Amino acid sequence: MLKVSVISPEATLFEGEAPSVTAPAFDGEVGILPQHAPMVTVLGTGELRIGEGTARFQVEGGFLQVVDDVVRVVTEKASRA
Amino acid sequence: MAKGRELKGRIKSVENTRKITRTMEMVATSKMKRAQDRVVAARPYARALADVIASLYAPELAERFPLLRQPAQEARAAVVLLTSNRGLAGAFNANLIKEARALLARLEAAGTAVELHVVGKKGAGYFRYVGRAMQTERADITDRPTAADAASLVDGLMTRFVDGALDAVYVVGSRFNSVLSTPPTAERVLPVQPPAGAAGTKDYLLFPSAEAILTELLPSYVRNAVYRALVETAAAEQAARRTAMKSATDNAGEMLTLLRRTYNRARQAQITQEIAEIVGGASALQG
Repeated sequence: MLKVSVISPEATLFEGEAPSVTAPAFDGEVGILPQHAPMVTVLGTGELRIGEGTARFQVEGGFLQVVDDVVRVVTEKASRA
Repeated sequence: MAKGRELKGRIKSVENTRKITRTMEMVATSKMKRAQDRVVAARPYARALADVIASLYAPELAERFPLLRQPAQEARAAVVLLTSNRGLAGAFNANLIKEARALLARLEAAGTAVELHVVGKKGAGYFRYVGRAMQTERADITDRPTAADAASLVDGLMTRFVDGALDAVYVVGSRFNSVLSTPPTAERVLPVQPPAGAAGTKDYLLFPSAEAILTELLPSYVRNAVYRALVETAAAEQAARRTAMKSATDNAGEMLTLLRRTYNRARQAQITQEIAEIVGGASALQG
């Protein structure tokens, strides 16, 4: 399981566990599963999907950080889709 | 009984004032709680940004990023002063203005050309009164500041810093350490002081590259510093108002006790006098 959090400047929008995360990286979608290598990537515009329909967000810019099965999506513009 | 009636009027007026201050105290208390929640909610974002920047930052990158440029001397600086739109918050605005004036004096003594940007009616009113030119003044930021407010405040300054038209940007606002400790502080947000700690890159895969990520994150970091200042100042304002209104309510209570005592004494004295007059009159008739 991944520990996922979606953080905007004003609030933590999502915090929970999920088996997978699909995020819109700057150059296309990136899928994260448990045991992923530590990574930081810049995000583009698109849909962020957490688990199988656990939560969806529309994000624009920001970044995603994976380290030790903890996924942090940090973005100035995110809204629940 | 002229004095009694006068006292009665004052008692009434102090009671009414106390009603207002007590209500304001309660309003400020609930607003402060919500503002405090916003301060706490803003922390994870700040921490996440600082973590990543600290792990990517290397001193040799400083020359390649305009936002990290450390000018040898500050020839031109901008000071952003955050104040409130409303008064009745004790010395809150006065303290912020004092802090800003100290900073202006210090910068100007060092030969820096300073432009002043003021947020909030109270600060703008003061500087208009003393005749200090302000580059911008705005009163449209509410007591619930948003990240968009912070962006609109600092984005223009950031562009000018990158272009080399400014050498430093300071933000004067209140820190919100706790309800009782909200000291005014001047913070330099530009050039960016890279966050310390977690030095040395953990073996991250970086997409597209460390530089591209920093290019994206540094402006967010600056905006977030300003956002944090806005939220903390908003919370500090409510805390200051609560304290001011609480002491006003307490003082009104004390005053009422005193006025009531005086009033009762006057009433009693009058009754005693009336009785003495009646007794005196009756005995004169008998005699």
